[in-house]
Amino acid sequence: MLSVREIDVYIQASHILRRVSLEVGAREVVCLVGRNGAGKTTTLRTIMGYLRPRTGRVELQGRPIHGRPTHEIARLGLGWAPEDSGIFPDLTVAENIEISTWTRPEGRPAAERIERAYRVFPGLRRYAARKGPEMSGGERKMLSIARALALDPEMLVLDEPFEGLSPAIIPAVSEGIAEITKLGHSILIAESNIHHVPEYTRRLYVIERGEIIFAGPPEDAWRDPALTRIIGSAA
Amino acid sequence: MTQHVVNVLLSGIFHASILFLVAAGLQVVFGVQKIFNLACGSFYALGAYVGVSAVGWYTGAGGPAALFVLPLALAGLAVGAVGVVVERGLLRFVYDRDETFQLLLTFAVVLMMEDAIRMTWGTSPRSTAGLYLTYGQVPILGAAVPVYNLIVIGASLAIALLIGWLLTRTAFGRIIRASADNREMAEALGVDMRRVYATVFTLGTALGTLGGALVIPATAAMSEMGIELIVEAFAVVVIGGLGSMRGAFVGALIVGVLRSIAISVYPELEMLLIYLIVIAVLVLRPRGLFGGAAA
Repeated sequence: MLSVREIDVYIQASHILRRVSLEVGAREVVCLVGRNGAGKTTTLRTIMGYLRPRTGRVELQGRPIHGRPTHEIARLGLGWAPEDSGIFPDLTVAENIEISTWTRPEGRPAAERIERAYRVFPGLRRYAARKGPEMSGGERKMLSIARALALDPEMLVLDEPFEGLSPAIIPAVSEGIAEITKLGHSILIAESNIHHVPEYTRRLYVIERGEIIFAGPPEDAWRDPALTRIIGSAA
Repeated sequence: MTQHVVNVLLSGIFHASILFLVAAGLQVVFGVQKIFNLACGSFYALGAYVGVSAVGWYTGAGGPAALFVLPLALAGLAVGAVGVVVERGLLRFVYDRDETFQLLLTFAVVLMMEDAIRMTWGTSPRSTAGLYLTYGQVPILGAAVPVYNLIVIGASLAIALLIGWLLTRTAFGRIIRASADNREMAEALGVDMRRVYATVFTLGTALGTLGGALVIPATAAMSEMGIELIVEAFAVVVIGGLGSMRGAFVGALIVGVLRSIAISVYPELEMLLIYLIVIAVLVLRPRGLFGGAAA
């Protein structure tokens, strides 16, 4: 599905990512775990085309996408939910969800895509006519993910979907994401704490100072005390 | 007395209608592209000259005088296409630069357009000679009001409603508002920002050129008219709030009517009065009456 191969990314003069590689297979949930500043968001923003790797490749279903503009990458099938949720405050919840059905008319019919978005997070239905600023942090995260799903992408890219949420609301978001995997989409999640990694995660990558220092099943990561020291703080 | 008041008010509202078109163009471009487009005044002047030429060509070809407003408005809208050239040819190279740089570039466009207009149409004022009263005048509370003024006021109101409908009720408008809110997020939802920018800038340009074309039967086209209007449009935007369409509407009404009152009471105060209000708004309500809304 998605294959990132040895990318090096610079922001101005700083070398942020060093030979980062990762793979996400069809219908797979993969987590990229690392501390703040380790390079998670930079990796995801490079995949989404906001940043260009100096060397290396990013491929989606065998097609190179690095160097393409973000809107093309989105239309090729990557749905993005950023850490700050990126809700359009001037639009209602319904308009936020519908927007990608106008920009990417191909794929499933619009009505079905919108229905799937609400089915994953049923709570959003009640807020359909509300605007972004009237929502809580958790509702914004859900809307952001639902909106990415309405694009009808092959794969969703979620940057810290549990960040800043109260423990009471985390299960609802986590169940929604599990629901999305059942619909057949792959998911790449960035997360700063290994305790928040959902149990349905197949594979884990740990990033530290711009380098991948671990790749494998979550059980193996738990067994490595050096890793849990880095990403296991504050459960 | 009422006759005088009606005259002053209606000529103020006529001027406000023109000013609204130009300011609306300025606002939509600022709202989405975050560029303060000084060249909106030049587009206004260009629309005026093209309007004069179109009407001249139309009457020369024997077109009935009663329909002159059609070629005038069509020419005004059509020349808005120059917006694509300016946006794709110049502006797109400075989106990532500092605002000062963008402002300087649009000011360069003002100077270039002024010279281009002088080279094409010469330096003496041009007018549509005599067509202004083609539609006659109607008495309103004792005042004789040119019907043409009422047509322009009606057209401008219709355009204001159309813009409102476009921005709030159509998919295109929602995409525009999303792009104004958060450009990066809109891109990740499949919005091609190059197309949005080209479309929005052309729309903004066409509003300015249409304003210039519509004003021309009532006045003469002069090469400095662009600069004068930029100053007034700037006042409208400060009073109404940067980026807000409602602000453009109310701001244009305030500036247009006050200017008209000043001209009739004490002409020397025309610009001074407008600037006193601009200063008052900047001091008391720096974001303008409707500041903060995106589009």
